[in-house]
Amino acid sequence: MGTTTSLRPPLRVRLPVARPPADVGAPSFTVDGPLRGRTVGLRHEGSWRSWMLIVDEWQRYLRDDGARPHVLRAEGRVGGEGERTRKNVAAWAERVDCGVSGLGTCGSCTSNSVTDAVALERLRRPAVVAVCQEFETHARTMASFLGHPSLKILVLPYPLEGRPADDLRDIAAEYYPKFVELLGATR
Amino acid sequence: MNGRTKTARSERSDEKPGKPGKDKAFRDGNDKADKADRLGKTGKPGKDGRDGKPGKGGKGVKGAAHAGPGYQLTAETLDVADDGGLALYEASLHGGWGDGAPVLAATDERVHELLAATPYPGDHVIGALPPRHGLATVELVAINAALAGVEPAGFPYVVAALEALLVPEWNALALTTTTSSVTPMLIVNGPGRDELRIDYRAGCLGGAAGRGSMTIGRAVALCLRNIGGQRAGETSRTVFGQPARFGLCFGEWEERSPWPSLAERRGFPADDEVVTVHGGKGVFPFADVNNDHPRDLAHAIAKTVAFPLNNWYLELTGESGQIVLLLNPMWARRLGEAFPEVEDFQTYVWQHAWQPIDVFRPGNAEVLRQKGRVDDKGRVTLAARPDQFVPVVCGGLGGLHGVALTTFVQSEMQSVAVER
Repeated sequence: MGTTTSLRPPLRVRLPVARPPADVGAPSFTVDGPLRGRTVGLRHEGSWRSWMLIVDEWQRYLRDDGARPHVLRAEGRVGGEGERTRKNVAAWAERVDCGVSGLGTCGSCTSNSVTDAVALERLRRPAVVAVCQEFETHARTMASFLGHPSLKILVLPYPLEGRPADDLRDIAAEYYPKFVELLGATR
Repeated sequence: MNGRTKTARSERSDEKPGKPGKDKAFRDGNDKADKADRLGKTGKPGKDGRDGKPGKGGKGVKGAAHAGPGYQLTAETLDVADDGGLALYEASLHGGWGDGAPVLAATDERVHELLAATPYPGDHVIGALPPRHGLATVELVAINAALAGVEPAGFPYVVAALEALLVPEWNALALTTTTSSVTPMLIVNGPGRDELRIDYRAGCLGGAAGRGSMTIGRAVALCLRNIGGQRAGETSRTVFGQPARFGLCFGEWEERSPWPSLAERRGFPADDEVVTVHGGKGVFPFADVNNDHPRDLAHAIAKTVAFPLNNWYLELTGESGQIVLLLNPMWARRLGEAFPEVEDFQTYVWQHAWQPIDVFRPGNAEVLRQKGRVDDKGRVTLAARPDQFVPVVCGGLGGLHGVALTTFVQSEMQSVAVER
């Protein structure tokens, strides 16, 4: 049988894989100055209670630093909810000087967090996406696929959900300076 | 071709809770203005779908000039030993462009046969498939269909399915990257089901072994993998996946339905061949022998699909998404007697698809209250509208069993007519 098959000419087939799209490589931006006097966006999806607690804590920190926090609760992505979300994200991105979008701690919520952070970068606003460690690679991949490979990523411990509130407050305190640093801002 | 413009339809998202009545807008799922909007803006996802936005249609001009043997294939080639398929299979595993099962050879001859079955030129771009946003040219789609064993007559169904899942409201980026098990589930209506062996009777979700069912769904899954770059554990964060990620395609047993077919309810004529793509989280079977009255059966179905860990209870609202209720023909007949209009059945199920807040433990209940999901009677309703419960008649005549194709929620079912 081996002899028979070896005498046949090879079979030429077409490969089914798409060539990767050209990497657009949109720029990212930094604040390059103090937080004081700036409007800082904080985006959550209303799903991850751990992140909402951190957002609450960071609002307080931002006020202490003289900034104005502006929170966005991004809801659904389709139907009437989706229309509202797109409108709200656009308005939020217009209104803030910089911001953080989170939380990436699942596949779709990471994709959505990156998408909304990219909405900020498209307006040349310094942007950070907050993700849990397990989803860091996914966030980088998504940012590249959306043409923003240099999007800044704040990597938080994983998992956040289910931790006691005091632990989450400690994490909020520990990671706030890193968030500010990624924005390129000073306190 | 049937001479009519292809339409891409979406479930309504603006229905108010309450009895929907029998008005055409509800039956069709869209009013005329909505239809015109969709035809103009979302009917043909285009190559600028990188941002998940509606496109302006693909590159290339529809017509036979580019579809036949005269079209020059551009995809890369690979030479493998002609040993009966084993070398090809191993090459697909080694190259990561297979799905783990043996594939057929995408020879130029085979690809041209598939291309000739559509009105599109090979370089027509159906859209940018997430997550990698690779451009789905008809040629690349045909190559993937060849791997899956799609016959030429079935190829336009693959194209239609991809067009449907690229409608932005299907939310393909989220669905291809999520930790969920969700996957495109293809439901076929129209006169082509028998010829193509798209299963809609006994074993239609698996086991009936119809070529159309087994190859068309697989081809779509291969396109997501090879063109969209969807890879479990890499770009896709799915925790479990599901068997239907190999591909799921089945038909509706329209002739045994007491109601208009799914496609008709979504605004298509009965003689259209239509592919509806549902973002299905899973295949959830249930059974009943305890309820004699069809209303009691419908009640039990409603309570069954309102299980406490349904994705819908994770959301801030129940406004988005659909759950598909697969009803065997015996149940369908009984339910049709009690609910002569499909909207009546949908409304009844919607009205009873809730759980008392006491079902949930205190912490969980508090989260649901904070999300505003508990009404003033202490009920946690599953979804916002009757039309989110989508009955489809199929399966064998053995009765007893039903299946829910559960919802990812953040995805609106889409339907596209097949073009030849």
